[in-house]
Amino acid sequence: MKRLFVTLMLLGLSVAAHAQQPGTPAATVIAIPPMTSPDTGTRGNEMLGIGWQATQMIAADLRQTSEMMPLPPNQKDYYSYPEVTAPTFSKWRSAGAKALVTGFVQSRSDGRVNFGCYVYDVEKGRELGRKGFVVSSGEWRRAAHKCSGVAYEAITGAPGMFDTRIAYVAESGGAGDARVKRLAVMDSDGFNHRYLTAGETMVLTPRLSPNGSQIAYVAYPDGVPQVRLLDIGSGAQRPVAPSDVISFAPRFSPDGRRILFTMMNGTNADIYITGRDGGVLQRLTTSPGIDTDASFSPDGSKIVFESDRGGSQQLYVMNSDGSNQRRMSFGGGWYASPEWSPDGKWIAFTRRGADGRRIGIIGSDGSGEKYLTNGPTDEGPSWAVSSREIIFQRSDAMGRSGLYRVSFDGSAPRQMSIPQGGSDPDWSGLLD
Amino acid sequence: MRKILLILMIIAAPAAAQRRLPVIIPLGKAQPAQQPVLTGIDALRADFAAQSGGTTVYFGSDSSQLGAPARTVLQAQAMWLRRHPEIVVRIEGHGDTTDTRDHALAVGARRAEEVRDYLVLMGLPAAQLSAMSWGKERPGAGRAVTILVR
Repeated sequence: MKRLFVTLMLLGLSVAAHAQQPGTPAATVIAIPPMTSPDTGTRGNEMLGIGWQATQMIAADLRQTSEMMPLPPNQKDYYSYPEVTAPTFSKWRSAGAKALVTGFVQSRSDGRVNFGCYVYDVEKGRELGRKGFVVSSGEWRRAAHKCSGVAYEAITGAPGMFDTRIAYVAESGGAGDARVKRLAVMDSDGFNHRYLTAGETMVLTPRLSPNGSQIAYVAYPDGVPQVRLLDIGSGAQRPVAPSDVISFAPRFSPDGRRILFTMMNGTNADIYITGRDGGVLQRLTTSPGIDTDASFSPDGSKIVFESDRGGSQQLYVMNSDGSNQRRMSFGGGWYASPEWSPDGKWIAFTRRGADGRRIGIIGSDGSGEKYLTNGPTDEGPSWAVSSREIIFQRSDAMGRSGLYRVSFDGSAPRQMSIPQGGSDPDWSGLLD
Repeated sequence: MRKILLILMIIAAPAAAQRRLPVIIPLGKAQPAQQPVLTGIDALRADFAAQSGGTTVYFGSDSSQLGAPARTVLQAQAMWLRRHPEIVVRIEGHGDTTDTRDHALAVGARRAEEVRDYLVLMGLPAAQLSAMSWGKERPGAGRAVTILVR
């Protein structure tokens, strides 16, 4: 007992040594006063109204990342139009902010709206970035997401994931055979949630095209799992893989024009590629056993996949034509469902072992393997466009599964709010 | 007494619809045993399951190798199917629930294909047999199920 106590004390000490100064937030404190407008009269009021909503949304966007701590926007902090580009830094410095986001909303003669966004380093008193957007007044949400992206990129150097979509499988109707699975898609903040299939057939693993307009997924139209393509705008669907052969695990190429997938060849699962709009079917792997879950590097030159050719499942890399196949993970357990990060530096994966399933990342050169979650029922990681955050699936003790986000900063995974259960999440790139 | 029972039944009925209360059968009045008369495909399925010693074969974790008990069942299935060449069957493979989504699909497919290959080896025409995979979508042990389609 005494020894246990000493160990606990040592543990406590080492934790304390790693912690920062007490009371200092690890996240960047960022001030977001209400956006202003150069317009006057009723137009001005309308623009200020949109600006206030956009301001609150930018704060919500940045708070979601857990890398930034937005001060709550306060309507007392309204500033004049000239102050957008000449802010009073001393005021925000004394409020403890490291960064400041200002902006304006201006009506145009064509009925649309100009959005201007500016990001400042409060301590140094200099501009970090600015960008303008023209949107229809009904699309102010997207403009606000883009402003959040400008702020996130100016502060972290990585693209913001706010103007993106998440596709997933919505689960309802209990557990086991009674479970109904439907394709669903939503904005990355959970808005614009909608179902794309009615649940009449089982659906699995939706994968968004890089611009978020199409989904490659698996359905059972004739009783056999098959890769299909769905256009989100028109609702049109069609098969991608040959009919009456088992196919699954689809994923788009970075240019969105080709689709990787796995197809059974007798007892052998191999990776194939074909054009999104048809064309030649090319076989990339031939090893006996299961090769599946292929994912392109962002430059399109390489493909990471899982294979059990060496005994247990491990991660392998090959050139995009199937040449030079080599193993890249060497740990214990089984490695599965790799996805290459948008910045090309990392590969996220699921590792299955005695301690269950956990989400990990490994450098694309095979170094720096580490774990982001403790499991034991996690799987299916998908990267945010920032390459600093991952969405994945986790089930509770009752078998209900939900969607979680985890950042690289070591903070705990956070559950996303969705109407019902969810699995197989996939995060798009920037929408345009 | 009879009236009380009737009232109880009336009270119980809506509750049963909501909460699935156990059905109370009055003692001393034996219900005539419902003898289901199977016809068509249902009768064939029942006969197939009875004569083959089961429709399902089981596999070890992550494995698609057929063990001796599985082979015995499949030999009996093949014998029955040879006598019914007009029957088409679908073999449904299942992966393990602890597996990841796509690997489970592949393992299920492999199990179904192994069963199909074995039945072909036992002299059945390949056209009589199709294979599919549920991956880990249907909870239960790693298995392959032979289902008569028509």
